[in-house]
Amino acid sequence: MTLRLEDVTVVHGKGDAENRVLDGLDVEFASGGLTAVVGPSGSGKSTLLAVAGALLRPASGRVLLDGTDLAALNDAQRARIRRERIGYMFQSGNLLPNFTAVDQILTVAHLTGRRPGRHRARAEELLEAVGLAHRRGHRPEQLSGGERQRVALARALFLDPPLLLVDEPTAAVDRGQAGALTGLLVETAERQDCIVVVATHDPVVADAAGRVVDMARLTAMST
Amino acid sequence: MFLALRELRAAKGRFALMGCVVVLIAALVGIVSGFTTGLGDDTVSALRRLPATHIAFSGDARTDQFARSLVDSRTAAGWGAEKGVQATPMGVSITRGSTGRGVPVDLAAFGVDPGSFLAPRVESGAGLRPGGDGVVISRQIADDGVRVGDTIVIDRLGIRLPVLGVTGRSSYGHVPVGYMPLGTWQRIRFSVPGAAGAGAAPPGQYSAVALRAGGGAVLGAADERLGTRTLARDEAFAAAPGYSGERITMNSILLFLYLIAPLVVGAFFAVWTVQRQPELALLRALGAARRRLLAHTLVQAATVVVASTLVGAGLAAGAGLALGSAVPFSLPLTTLLGTVAAVTAAGLAGTALTLRRVTSADPLTMLGGNR
Repeated sequence: MTLRLEDVTVVHGKGDAENRVLDGLDVEFASGGLTAVVGPSGSGKSTLLAVAGALLRPASGRVLLDGTDLAALNDAQRARIRRERIGYMFQSGNLLPNFTAVDQILTVAHLTGRRPGRHRARAEELLEAVGLAHRRGHRPEQLSGGERQRVALARALFLDPPLLLVDEPTAAVDRGQAGALTGLLVETAERQDCIVVVATHDPVVADAAGRVVDMARLTAMST
Repeated sequence: MFLALRELRAAKGRFALMGCVVVLIAALVGIVSGFTTGLGDDTVSALRRLPATHIAFSGDARTDQFARSLVDSRTAAGWGAEKGVQATPMGVSITRGSTGRGVPVDLAAFGVDPGSFLAPRVESGAGLRPGGDGVVISRQIADDGVRVGDTIVIDRLGIRLPVLGVTGRSSYGHVPVGYMPLGTWQRIRFSVPGAAGAGAAPPGQYSAVALRAGGGAVLGAADERLGTRTLARDEAFAAAPGYSGERITMNSILLFLYLIAPLVVGAFFAVWTVQRQPELALLRALGAARRRLLAHTLVQAATVVVASTLVGAGLAAGAGLALGSAVPFSLPLTTLLGTVAAVTAAGLAGTALTLRRVTSADPLTMLGGNR
């Protein structure tokens, strides 16, 4: 399982306001380990995740997930890839307010056309795997930052996706929780044998990663 | 349904508030519809019951024809001679009187030929007799305490009308109808209170000629020849006093309510959609199809709008039952269902105004700490 970005260019804005966030970027990610994408703010970490996650179509280049070029797909096809083949952990968890932890996970079942009621056991199993079985009925406002991130991880893993994209997972948690969360991500990457790409500023995450991609260096090389 | 129902449950306070507004609008639409139908019935039910297809008025009467039009016997006979047309003269006027027992009676006097197709069917008592006198009263007058065997004495004229029978509910210009022979009607219509020679024979004139025209009848040519202006029976409703004004007033109120309903529902869902843009963006980022988000929003809107409209319609029906016959209110099941359908459609149309925002939620906002 591989994710390859070939000669990817992303341009924000037009005319004087034009900004080439990614310019002819080439990078490849493989399964089985955690890759940390680091770099200063504005270096294109989030844009890389957006392109890799079929959230953003690049101006040019190819984004190959196991041979499928995500950049060539239309909006509906990219939505389908997102819900069936890609797991996301957004900054601060980004959970649905007023939904319990178990319902957050069942939402993925619903979005993929499954009957949520039939997948409750799977959802609870995932919550147990991230150490939150006892929090299944709690809503986001009743959870700590780290717990929210764990629920988001459980949600992302519902369909055993080949690609897991994680955006600043430790931005809103304390040191202790950051370490625990990073350990969980490393363990997930190894156990699930999936591609795990983490955009981060946090040295704790970078240190634990099997590979570090420095956007500042990549951007310099591509330009 | 999974997302829609969970959001409804989670934000039940907001949806209940919105539901209350739709309940009140639906109830108001139902009540105004009830009054529109009731007032319409109260004005023209007697005309609606006429077993005629057309009414011929004198050519000079352009508005308020039942009060202004006068046709003579020759015109009535001329219509009777028309091929494919059955014709009988009729008289319409409003008067008042009281019974010997002191029951006051407002009466829309309908003069008809007892042997013609306009003769009323009686529910109790006897019908009009050719060459006889007397009156067949509508059910409302009987409900007010007038009985078969009573005599109604017309105010100031002293004309005595023995009550022969009772027919169904029938009103004209908000006044219950009494059917009487044409001669009796002419005495009421043309007598002048206190005038010398009050006992003289009244002129042989009528308000109009009721027609039963077959498909092949050419009414325009007869109109020209006889100096009349013929209207289809339903068009003649506008000739009843106040009918057009009432319809315009009530329909204007309904129109405004139907304009307000989608705007109120649309405003609520617009605010609701703006508030949950982050959630919609998250769902889009997780791969939700636009179609699914639309369905999700429509299910929420339909749940609130349909449930609230049904409650509002129930309130309107309840108001109708509570009012009874105290006011002219009529809300038949078909009108009630029409109200439910129209308010639901208006509410959902309001929701449709917000749907573009639902599908335009940007999943990219989920990345880079935008939230």
